[in-house]
Amino acid sequence: MIELKDITKTYGKGDSLFTALYKINVAIPTTTTAAIIGKSGSGKSTMMHIMSGLDRPSEGDVIINDKALSELKPKQIDKFRSTEMSFIFQAFFVEANQTCYQNVMLPLEIAKVGRRNRRKRVIEALTAVGLEEKIDTQASKLSGGQKQRLAIARAIVNNPKIIFADEPTGNLDSTTGEIIIKLLFDLHKSIGVTLVIVTHDEELAARCSMRIYMKDGEITRVEGNGKQSTTNKKTRRV
Amino acid sequence: MFLSDQIRRAGRSLRSAKARTLLTAMAIAVGAFALTLTLAASNGAQSFVNNIIAKNFDPTELIVVADQTVLGGGNTSKPVEYSGNFGTSVSNSGAVTQVKRLTDSDIEKIKAVPGVESVREDITANLQYLTRPEQKKFVGTMQSFPPFQQPDLVTGSIPKPLIGKQVLLPEAYISALGFPSAEAAVGKTITIAVQKPAVTDAPQTFAQAIVQDSIVQEFTITAVLKKPTTSQPGTELYLFTSQEAARELNDISTLGTANYRAYTDIFVKVADGNNAQNITTVQNKIKDIGFYAQSVKDTQAFLTQIISVLQGIVIAFGLIAVLASIFGIVNTMYISVLQRTREIGLMKALGMRKRDIGRLFRFEAAWIGLLGGTIGAGLAFGLGTALNPWITTKVNLGTGNSLLIFQPLQIGILILILVTISILAGWLPSRKAAKLDPIEALRAE
Repeated sequence: MIELKDITKTYGKGDSLFTALYKINVAIPTTTTAAIIGKSGSGKSTMMHIMSGLDRPSEGDVIINDKALSELKPKQIDKFRSTEMSFIFQAFFVEANQTCYQNVMLPLEIAKVGRRNRRKRVIEALTAVGLEEKIDTQASKLSGGQKQRLAIARAIVNNPKIIFADEPTGNLDSTTGEIIIKLLFDLHKSIGVTLVIVTHDEELAARCSMRIYMKDGEITRVEGNGKQSTTNKKTRRV
Repeated sequence: MFLSDQIRRAGRSLRSAKARTLLTAMAIAVGAFALTLTLAASNGAQSFVNNIIAKNFDPTELIVVADQTVLGGGNTSKPVEYSGNFGTSVSNSGAVTQVKRLTDSDIEKIKAVPGVESVREDITANLQYLTRPEQKKFVGTMQSFPPFQQPDLVTGSIPKPLIGKQVLLPEAYISALGFPSAEAAVGKTITIAVQKPAVTDAPQTFAQAIVQDSIVQEFTITAVLKKPTTSQPGTELYLFTSQEAARELNDISTLGTANYRAYTDIFVKVADGNNAQNITTVQNKIKDIGFYAQSVKDTQAFLTQIISVLQGIVIAFGLIAVLASIFGIVNTMYISVLQRTREIGLMKALGMRKRDIGRLFRFEAAWIGLLGGTIGAGLAFGLGTALNPWITTKVNLGTGNSLLIFQPLQIGILILILVTISILAGWLPSRKAAKLDPIEALRAE
């Protein structure tokens, strides 16, 4: 369960004070698929950053599985992120001059996973996204869709409890994007992870069991309660 | 992140920018090259000095003088009080000086010092001339041969002990005296003449060279000496003979003068002199009775002092090169941080700790230092080893000496120091990386 309590985030001071988020209260239940929907500048990315502990709120608190992030030291938040969360980005952020193996290995190295299990886990993750044959290929030689699949492999290799995806299909054509989305939702079903997707794509949002609509730093509407099945009937509409 | 993972990742990111890495490393390589060669050259010089000392000095002996200026000390800008006991002499610059000498009674006093085993006078006899039948006459100086000395020989051998009228002849005299070869000279005799001094009441000075009777003696050549590679200028043509023969010649040439049985320096053998403590004790006791004593160690220190000054200068240049390379590393590391802003952001988002990110970049700097140090030291070693025999013959160091001596441990320590310097140079950039805001970093294009 990810709970945001009275979250306010402001930048600057005095006249130049800018409120990015204002009194956000929302709870995302465990193993839900949640979409945060809004136009650019609505505060959706800021909210994701605060949820993941990358950014600190000016007021309020984030509580993840009964742990308040405000009570954790930076070191503990780092540990928390390295073992329980992972990220997928619009621009993939895979290291072009490294092999797929080395890219997927990064979270395991950061989390200090013992050497013996590493290779096996990397292969499992790459197999899950269908890139097992590209294990020693340089990431620069992959297509856009393959790069995002690689990023997904990197996101699941650590068996996280929460995956944050920031516009995961934003840089992909619709066919490839569809493949990525299907992959994400299939993985969600098979590994039971909480999936938080930041998007402005209504079609993608419609497939999530919970939809949080945002505008000008405030939540305007929340649809679904997270208890719906992930194979929502609405997805069939596509 | 484990240390080994960090080291590997740091190395990998350097490989992705090969040209930049190599160029930065080259700056350190220049410093490492200069420092490695300097160290090797100073090792060579050190061992050269040690070789010379071992060949020319007995470590259990002290050189004892009555006048400090003989050992390169004392104050030469102070007027010297005249003493009627000794003759005056002329220095290289033509100035008249008077060097205090050691007399037989002084020697008796020194012999009485506890711990002194024996005393050997350093006798230098001024010859009138030396020649062979039907050959030209040459001027020469005859010195008593120090029994422990191992000069390089062209041919022949030095009997132990060297006794009677036997002579060691410098090779320059071979053709001058009309010998077909050095080998042909061994066993032959040369004629040596010394002049009886004009005995007057007044102390003798250089101006009173009045032609007097000469005494002529025959000496047998037992060995031919190679031109020494290092020696005091003017001593290259010294002839050597036994202690008693040298004394006889010197007595003839100084009898009745103030220089009769007066010695500039003597050698004092210390009982159980391999123990440095005994040497120091005797040295101090001799100083207490008014003479100056120098040990082989002192001589060595005096010789190496000059080497260390030269060495210091070259090391300073090497350090300047290293200093310049520090700026190169700082610059390269800043570029690396800038180029990899997004990667840093990603690693932070994935929960990598600030400390680990800083370390990742410091390891990168360390790799550059290691690469540069290894390239520089390797080149110096390779080039030095290849050219060493040639250089050594060119500068004529004599057999058994080498201009450059490489010591692996020394090179290892040097590289280690360069790596440390590189890490320090990478400090600021690595701090910048550690402090990057992950959200800003991920936004960077």
